[in-house]
Amino acid sequence: MAEGGNDAELLKEKANKYFKEKDYENAIKYYSEALELNSSNAIYYSNRSLAYLRTECYGYALADATKALEIDKNYIKGYYRRATSNMALGKFKAALKDYETVVRVRPNDKDARMKYQECNKIVKQKAFERAIASDETKKSVVDSLDIENMTIEDDYVGPKLEDGKVTLKFMKEMMDWFKDQNKLHRKCAYQILVQVKDVLSKLPSLVEIELKETEKITICGDTHGQYYDLLNIFKLNGLPSETNPYLFNGDFVDRGSFSVEVILTLFGFKLLYPNNFHVLRGNHETDNMNQMYGFEGEVKAKYTGQMFQLFSEVFQWLPLAQCINSKVLVMHGGLFSEDGVTLEDLRKIDRNRQPPDSGPMCDLLWSDPQPQNGRSVSKRGVSCQFGPDVTERFLEQNKLDYIVRSHEVKAEGYEVTHSGKCITVFSAPNYCDQMGNKGAYIHLRGSDLKPEFHQFTAVPHPNVKPMAYANTLMQLGMM
Amino acid sequence: MAARQPFTDTDTADEAVRATCDDATTCKRFATSKGYWKDPYIQYFARSVGERKAPEINRGYYARVQGVNHLLDAFIKKAECDCQVINLGAGLDTTFWRLKDENLMPRKFFEVDFPTVVARKIHNIKTKPPLSKPIIETHSTDSLLLDAHSLDSDRYCIIGADLRDVSNLDEKLKKFQLNPELPTLLLSECVLVYMTPSQSSNLVHWAAETFHTAMFINYEQVNMSDRFGQVMIENLQRRQCTLAGVEACQSLDSQKERFLKTGWENADALDMMTVYSMLPQDDVARIERLEFLDERELLQQLLQHYSICWASKDKHNLGLSQLAF
Repeated sequence: MAEGGNDAELLKEKANKYFKEKDYENAIKYYSEALELNSSNAIYYSNRSLAYLRTECYGYALADATKALEIDKNYIKGYYRRATSNMALGKFKAALKDYETVVRVRPNDKDARMKYQECNKIVKQKAFERAIASDETKKSVVDSLDIENMTIEDDYVGPKLEDGKVTLKFMKEMMDWFKDQNKLHRKCAYQILVQVKDVLSKLPSLVEIELKETEKITICGDTHGQYYDLLNIFKLNGLPSETNPYLFNGDFVDRGSFSVEVILTLFGFKLLYPNNFHVLRGNHETDNMNQMYGFEGEVKAKYTGQMFQLFSEVFQWLPLAQCINSKVLVMHGGLFSEDGVTLEDLRKIDRNRQPPDSGPMCDLLWSDPQPQNGRSVSKRGVSCQFGPDVTERFLEQNKLDYIVRSHEVKAEGYEVTHSGKCITVFSAPNYCDQMGNKGAYIHLRGSDLKPEFHQFTAVPHPNVKPMAYANTLMQLGMM
Repeated sequence: MAARQPFTDTDTADEAVRATCDDATTCKRFATSKGYWKDPYIQYFARSVGERKAPEINRGYYARVQGVNHLLDAFIKKAECDCQVINLGAGLDTTFWRLKDENLMPRKFFEVDFPTVVARKIHNIKTKPPLSKPIIETHSTDSLLLDAHSLDSDRYCIIGADLRDVSNLDEKLKKFQLNPELPTLLLSECVLVYMTPSQSSNLVHWAAETFHTAMFINYEQVNMSDRFGQVMIENLQRRQCTLAGVEACQSLDSQKERFLKTGWENADALDMMTVYSMLPQDDVARIERLEFLDERELLQQLLQHYSICWASKDKHNLGLSQLAF
C-alpha cells in the first residue's frame, strides 16, 4: 500500500471499466475499495452513487452524492447525482434545488436545462395540486382531444356508442366485453369520459333526491376495481334502470386490478340513467391514491397517461354527498372535525379539485366513526374519528335520521353503529383477495327509509392479482 | 381444522415451498429500496427492485425483520457472541452479513435449506464479492470447503438438506463442526408450517435434545382458524402450496405448546400486531411516513395472523427466558 493515491486510482479505473460493462456490483465493489484507500475523493463517491442508482439503491446513492458534495461543493456531477437520487425517492423539490445550481453554474448546458425544466414541471404540478383552489384555470385534457376524428379500426369488434350515445344495448355489450377481459376502444372510453364529466359538473356538491313511497334505491359501498363482484351485484340485485336506482358510494378504483372496467361501467350507467344512477366521490378518486394503489398504472397500461389525466378531471367533479328525502345523508368517509357543519355548507363546497388536507371536503372523504364520544386523531393520519355524540348533534342540527357511509372494510359487509345513526356499507367482498369479508348493499324504500341489508360473497375472477398495476415510480431520466 | 386437499405430488408441493423464498426476497428487496430498513446485501440476491408491493406488505416485513432481529441480537449479546446460530429454511437471508457488519457474529453461523435453494445461494455467494469477501476474510485458510450443495468456512456454513429428515440434518451439521455445548439459537421463518405437525415436532424435539442451552425462534402464521386464515390457505393452495402444519398455527397457545411438549423449558409468543406496537416507536413512525396506508385494517389483519414464538432452555443460566420485547 505504498502509494495509496495511485492504487486508489487504479481501483477506480477498474470500477469504471466494470461500470461500462454494466457490471454494477463489481463497480460498486471497486469504488468502495478505492474509497478505503482514499476516503476524501468526491469522484469516487459520485461514481459509486451512479452505480447505486443503476441498482435502484436510491438511499445509498443519495448518501454517496451528499458525501461527494460535502468533500467538494463545486463538484457539478455531485449535484446531478443528488438530484437524480432525490427524483427517484420522490423528493422533487430537493432535486429541483440541485438542478437549479447546475444550470446556474453551467448556463449553456442544454442537458442540465432540460432536466431542470422536467423537474420543475413535476414540482409545479404537485404545487398546483396542493394549492387551495385558485383563480388560475388549469387547461383541460378535453380541449386537446379530437374525439370526432378518432377512428375505430375495422378489426375492432367490441361495443361502440350508438350515435355517440350510451344505450342499454351498448352497456350490456360492454359488460360482456369486459367480462372476457377485452378492452373498450379508446374513442368510446373518451366519449364516455367527456360526456360524464359534463353531466357531473352540472351537479351540486350535495345531491338531493326524493324517493316516492313506492320507490326504492340500492346503496353500494367501496368496489375497488373488483369488476366480477360488481357484475355479481347486478346479477343478484338486477341491472340499474329507472325503476332500479343505485347509488355507489365512492372508492370504485384502486387495489383491485379491474378498476378501468368498474369505472367505465359505472360512468356508462350514469350517462344512461342520469337521474336514477348516482356516484359519489371516495378518497380513492384522487391523484395521490391512484398513483400509489394501481388505478393510474392500470389506465396507463391499458390506455395512456392522457386518459388518466382525464379520469382525474372527471373524478374532481364527482359530488361529495347525497341526501335522500331530506332524512338520510350518504357520503364516503363520514362527518366533520368540527361541530356546526350544515347541509348548506356542503352544497357550497367548491369541489373541482384534489381534496385539501383538512376541512369539510377532506372529512367527507376520509373520516371514520368511533365507538366513544367526542373526536380523536384519525388512525389514518388524515381527518378525524367521530363519536356517537358528534353524529347525534349533526343529525339534529340538520334534521336528518341517519348517515350511510363506506370507507372501511367490514367482515359482514356492513356495520350499524352509533345506535343505528351511522351505517357502514362495503361492497368489495374478499377485499384484496385476502380479507375473506362479505360484501353488502342496502335497500332503502321511500315508504319507510329503513335500511335493509343484503350480503354477498366473492365470485372468482381471472388471474390478475390485486394491485397488479401499482408500479414503482416511473423511470426517471437517469444520467 | 379446515379440509385440505392432500398433496397431489410431493415434488410439486416442495417446489411450491421453495418458491416462497423468492416471495420473501422480492418483498424484502422492495421494502429496503423504499427505505424501510437497510440491507445492502439483498440486492445481490434479487437484482432489480421489481413490482411494487402494497404498503401493508412492506410494513409487515418490516415488523418481521425488526422483530426477529431484536430477539436474535439479544441472544447473541447475552451469550457475548460465544454461541452458534442455525437458520433453518434460511432461503436467501442476509443475516450473516449483517451480523458481521455489526460485529455481532456468533462463533459459527449455519444455514440450512433445500439443496436447490442452497445451490442458488452458493452460486450468488461465489459470484458476488460483497457476499464472498466477508466469508473469506473470516476463514483461516486460503480455501473454503465447497461443493454443489454446501459451503463451509470457519464462521459460516450453508448446508443443503431436507429438514424433515432430522437424523440426516443432525449428521450434516455435526460434520461441519456443530458444537452442541455452545449456546445455540435456532431460527425458522415460515418453515415449520410447510411440514406436518409430526415432522416439525421431530425437528423441534431434536433441537431440545441436542442443545442444553438454546433458544428457538419461530416466525409464522397464527390464528388461522378464522375467515382470513381460511382465505390465506385457499390462496396458497391455488399455488400448490399446502400449509401442512397449520394445525399448530391455531393460536399463540398452540404455537407455544409445540415447544413445551417437546422438551423446551419456556415458551413465549406474541402476534405481530403486538410486536409492531412494541418496536421502537420513533422508527415505526418513520416507516409509516414512507408510504401512506389507505386501509389500516389490512395491516392489522395481516399482522394478527403472524406470530413470533420463542422457546428456551437454559442449563447455563444465561437468563434466556428473560429475553423479550
